[in-house]
Parts: sequence; C-alpha cells; structure tokens
Amino acid sequence: MTLLDILLSGQLLFSALLLGSLYALVALGLNLVYGTMRLLNVAHGDFVMVGAYAAYGLLTLLGWSPLWAAGLVAVICALAGLCIYELLFRSLLSAQSSVTRIESNSLLLFFGLSVIVQNTMALSVTATPRGYQYLDEIYRLGGVAMTGNRLAALVVALVACGAVGLFLRFNVFGLALRAVIERPDAARVVGVNIELVHRVSFCIGFATAGIAGVLVSMMQEFSPFIGFPFTISAFIVVILGGLGNIFGGFIAAFLLGALETYGVALTSPNLSSVLLYGVFVMALVLFPQGLVAHRATR
Amino acid sequence: MTPVAKEIVPWIVLSLAAATLPSIGGDYIVGVGMVLLMWLALTQSWAILSSMTGYVSIGHVVFYGLGSYVVVVSWQSLPLAVAIIAAGLVSALFALAVGMPVLRVRGPYFVILTFGLAELVKFAIIALEARMGIASRLIFGAPSIQFIYYAMLLLAAAATLMHIVVHRSRFGHALRSLRENEVAAESVGIPVARYKLYAYVLSAVIPGMVGGVMGLRSTYFEVTQAFDPTISLTIVVMAVIGGGDGVYGPLFGVVFLTVLSEVLWTRAPQLYMVILGLLLILFMLKCPEGLIGRYTTWAAAREGKQR
Repeated sequence: MTLLDILLSGQLLFSALLLGSLYALVALGLNLVYGTMRLLNVAHGDFVMVGAYAAYGLLTLLGWSPLWAAGLVAVICALAGLCIYELLFRSLLSAQSSVTRIESNSLLLFFGLSVIVQNTMALSVTATPRGYQYLDEIYRLGGVAMTGNRLAALVVALVACGAVGLFLRFNVFGLALRAVIERPDAARVVGVNIELVHRVSFCIGFATAGIAGVLVSMMQEFSPFIGFPFTISAFIVVILGGLGNIFGGFIAAFLLGALETYGVALTSPNLSSVLLYGVFVMALVLFPQGLVAHRATR
Repeated sequence: MTPVAKEIVPWIVLSLAAATLPSIGGDYIVGVGMVLLMWLALTQSWAILSSMTGYVSIGHVVFYGLGSYVVVVSWQSLPLAVAIIAAGLVSALFALAVGMPVLRVRGPYFVILTFGLAELVKFAIIALEARMGIASRLIFGAPSIQFIYYAMLLLAAAATLMHIVVHRSRFGHALRSLRENEVAAESVGIPVARYKLYAYVLSAVIPGMVGGVMGLRSTYFEVTQAFDPTISLTIVVMAVIGGGDGVYGPLFGVVFLTVLSEVLWTRAPQLYMVILGLLLILFMLKCPEGLIGRYTTWAAAREGKQR
C-alpha cells in the first residue's frame, strides 16, 4: 500500500475511531479519580483486564451475552472501586498532609494494588491468553468491512462516554463533581458533600474501566497483563486533553487512536509498544507539571 | 575516630566477613549471598536518587537492563572488565542524556514516567533485536559463581560507600533540602537542576555494572528478563521496608526480602509478586517510615523517657 492508500483507507479510519472511543472510555475513569482526589490510579488498566475476565467468565459459566453482562460487570467493578476507596484511600485523604506526599504515596499504593490484581488473576486463571467468539459476522458499509463485535464496541463506548458526559453537564450531582475537580475548597464551602463525590468518582471510574474491559474482550485475546498499556494510553489522553475536561479528553483520545493506528500501518506492528511508550514519555516531558498547570493555563 | 570512619568501619567488617563466605559455604549459600549483594548494590544506588531527593524511581531496571545488554552484546569480543566498565558508562550516559527533561517532571508524574521510560527502552531494544533477526542470545563460557559473587561484593561495597559519602557531603545536604522543598532550596542558591542530574547519574552507574555482571549468570540472554519490572518493584519494596534516611535502611530491607525472593521468585513468580504488592501497601499504610525509621523514633522516645 502506498502512503495515500493508507491515509484514505476507510478500514483504518474505522479502526482509529474504535480505538479512540475505547481510549476515551478508559481515560474518563482515570480523569474523574485523578480530578476529584488527585489520586493517580496506575491500577486503572488492570480493572479493564478484570472487566474482560468477568465478561469471559459470565459467558463461559452462565452463558450470558457479553453485551448484557456489561451492566453487571460495571456494578462489580464499581463495588470493587468502593471497597478499595474505603480500605486504602479514605484515611489517606482525610489525613492533613501535603498534597505532594498524598500523590506520591497514593501512587505507590496503586502500584502495589496493580501488581496484586495482575498476579492474583494470573494465579487463579493462569497467564494463558483467553478469547471467545461473539458477534463475528461481517457487515459492509461503503467499502469498509467490520465485524459485529467491533461495531457494537464502538457504539457502546460512545454511548457510555456520552452518558457520563451528559451526567457531568446536566445533573446537579455531576455539576458538584465538576466543582470538586475545579475548586475543591470552594465546593466544600458551598456545601458539596466531598466524601460522597469521592465515592461516586471511584465507582464511575472503575465501572467505566470494567465496561471498557468487556468491549476489549469481545474483540481481541486478553491475558492478566494487558492492563498497563491501557493505563498508559489513558494517561496520555488525560495529559493532552486536560484535567476534568471531558470534551478535550475525547479529542485527545481520537488523536491517540489515529496516531497509533496510522503509525503502526506506516511502520510495523512490532513498533506499536515503542510508539505508545514514546508518546507517553514525550507527553510528560512536554507537560512536566502534569495536569494541574495545564488546566490553569486553559 | 572521625564520624566518617565510625560509619565506615562496620561496613568494612561486614565486607571482610562476606569475602570469606565462598571459602566456607557451598554453591547454594554463595548463590544466596550473591543475590543479597546484588539487591544491596541496587537498593543503595536507588537510595542516592530516590531517598535523598524524593524523586521515587519505579523504573530503575532500565539501567540494569542497559548494562546487561552492553555486556552480552560485547561478550567474547571485549575483555570482561572493559565490558563491565562500559556497562556502567552507558547507563550513566543514558541517565545524563535523558536526565534533564525527565527530572523536570515532578512528584507522581516522575514516578510513572520512570516506569514508562524503562518499558520504552525495553520495547525499543526488542524491536532492534527483531530487526536484526535475533530472538535470544546464548552465552558460552560464562564466569563461575564465585567470580560473580566477588564482583557483586565489590559493587555492593562501592554502592554503600557512595551512599555514605553522598549522604554526609554538602551535596547530600543540598539533595535533602530540595527533597523537603525544591523552591526554597533553589531560592537559597542550590543549583537544583544540576544536583538532581548528578544524583540521577550517580544512581545509574552501579546498577548498569550490576546488570552487566548478572547478565552472565544464565546461559542465555532475553531482553524481557533483563528489563523485568519485578526488579524495579523489588528495589522499591526493599527500600520502603527498610526506610529511614541513611545507609542502614536498604541493608535491613534487603536482608528482610532476599530470602523471600530467593525462595519464590523463580519457583512461584506470581505469588512472589502478590506478596511484594501486599508488603508495599502494608508498609505504605501502616509504617511509611520503614523499620529503621520506626526504630529511630522508638529509640529516641526511650532515650527521652530515661532523661
């Protein structure tokens, strides 16, 4: 294929859109948890993996269709998020220590959590990659061929992102949540229940990760160790899109999806990890203050 | 005795005792001792950056892996001593090259960046090897375990000495002041950016050489093993368990965990990782100052009572 063929290919455009919507969904949860609590959840991608295995388990053991199982998986992941908040982070957040100390300590806690989740999963279901077939009939739209599962994943990811976006824009509690992201102290002054906001952010964050995991499991093979690259891509999206900025996050997610899809198409699949981590390192080096200063200049 | 001598003497005694181990113990004991010394060298080097400046690295394996790669690639075409020194130099040069932009990133972003950087270098080398058509490299005529043991002893002693010297020096005080408050440190005239870079480079040299020597321990070389994130994690957990602000914390953490790593890492790696994760969370929540830190406050409180 020539360069022009690659750039004009509808097939690749579809892949880029799909990847972008998936990244947007994963990054959404990371953005909420970081925005409201300044907790950098490096275990975020591991809950994508948990969601994938949960869908696989529900399908193989109970025969649930993954699309219907997504709702239950979201609830399971939200509960897991709530437990983690209560066990690990509530006391940490209420302790009156400096923000930087909380940020660094919480990162090590999430790092430990990530290691535990990955390896517990590997211990209980082995590290062999799994996969299943679901909605794999092919649809044609214009010149683009797509399997049913990829189409469904695109729709579900967009709907889930849109739902959270609308909640944050129009629901009173969603507004309170955004207020906590932008001015935590002022939000407390006007009577926002900060702790409830924290709980809800954890729940939404983990639930969206779980749903993303279900979508991933419909399309590709997965192992207990697929999570970290998702964390990294979510980081890139949040850094480039801006803290608490849902719309900016969408744009950044689709950019990253396009970059990865076309980058791999133009070079070789061997380089996809190099590309991802390269973009990550560049993004942090270009915005060394991370997300907060980025927001202040907006 | 001067205070420096007082601090160094126990370590000299320990080193001499360790030097006699190969003549009294069998290969198994020497193997465990070697692993212990390896972790000590790595954790002391890590502490020069992360304990002193507060810039926590969870990707220190990048230096180990680079050193390993240098020695394995140059195996049997360069004399071993030259290759090991080259391994240290390459790690240091890498730290020097990426240090300036990387150390501008602060707090939690720096932490996650170190991990990403290690993965980036790992995948870059994998892609490079794939392009050259090499899946794994065999190593023939690797040195004996006794040789590796003495090399590790030397490196562990060098790393500890480096940590002691930096810790007591004017430079070390400057590093600690920037850990407490970087802006304040800069405003009293400490060249913050330069000093952070020095600490970063210093903490990279010995891990590069350790990786170089350890690369020869097995008969084949695989990139994913040389850049295994488990190594970074183990260093962090050892340092967190030991805790404190000095050279004894790493020693305690290393002794505490080496047996566990020796028993479990190769036989049940996943269980080992789960235990490491649990220990990390437990210590961060219940005892963030580490064993040495807790002992110091306890001893100080007891002294206060006696007066």
